[in-house]
Amino acid sequence: MKTRTKSLVQEAHQVERAVQLIKMGARIQLLSSTTQLPYERLVRIYKEVMGKSPSKGQLPFSTDWFLSWQENAHSSLFLNVHEYLNKTAAMEEVDTFIKAYRLYLEHVQLLEVDPVLSVTRAWRLVQFVDNGMLTMTACSDCGGHFVTYPHEIAKHYVCGLCNPPARAGHGGGNALRREKKALAVAAMA
Amino acid sequence: MKLEQLLAEVQEANLSNLLLAQSLIRADREQALYRLGISEETANLLTSMTPTQVVRAARTNTLLFQFRPDEAVFTLLTGSRQEASNDTVSRMHAAILQAGRHQEAA
Repeated sequence: MKTRTKSLVQEAHQVERAVQLIKMGARIQLLSSTTQLPYERLVRIYKEVMGKSPSKGQLPFSTDWFLSWQENAHSSLFLNVHEYLNKTAAMEEVDTFIKAYRLYLEHVQLLEVDPVLSVTRAWRLVQFVDNGMLTMTACSDCGGHFVTYPHEIAKHYVCGLCNPPARAGHGGGNALRREKKALAVAAMA
Repeated sequence: MKLEQLLAEVQEANLSNLLLAQSLIRADREQALYRLGISEETANLLTSMTPTQVVRAARTNTLLFQFRPDEAVFTLLTGSRQEASNDTVSRMHAAILQAGRHQEAA
């Protein structure tokens, strides 16, 4: 049996964070990777806050999702805010994340659109960027930073907002990307 | 508008901006850094000001807070780009650009 040597204050912070995240729509996987609270504890807190049991099952997130036109815009907005906070304020990672996501929700509310990026996906995005599976590239047209695959050639990269694909908003960006990629690969053969 | 009136409005704007900045920082420090586009050091300076100092600082003929958006952001905010057929899209685009401008604050 584990001896609890954690301070009560620290534990209270952890519980507070879990509650905040749950209220923003976090699923258990997100809670377990951002707090040190044991699984059973998290489930109990979840039930208390949401009034129901957490949904089970793994969340299969791929990097592709973040590159589709609309998803890319939302993801890029969130990530820019996150990076801003990272660079200007000294906070623990999870607090930076929570504040950044809150600011993203504010933006989205003022834009009067639905938050396409859920809190759990936002966390996956941060993880993907941390382990180098995704990065940000500056658009050669507007100069804004957008979420891209790594090794994107900055000179040629144009963001989806400066150059919207034909079927923008219907996953067109992703299909167009794959087509372009396939053509590029074929040309090199 | 007469010059005196304009100068009075400059001072009023300074006063309300300084007070707003202080309120924002006290409400949520880190988010305030984002909203104001300032560094931790500047935030410390602002919150260390007493009401007397705030009034004194506001009494000048220049604006203490500057216009932040650069040309790129401004164009998107006013919706003057051709691609901006959609108001929401260009406002989101502006938000993305503005959020990425953290060089000044760091």
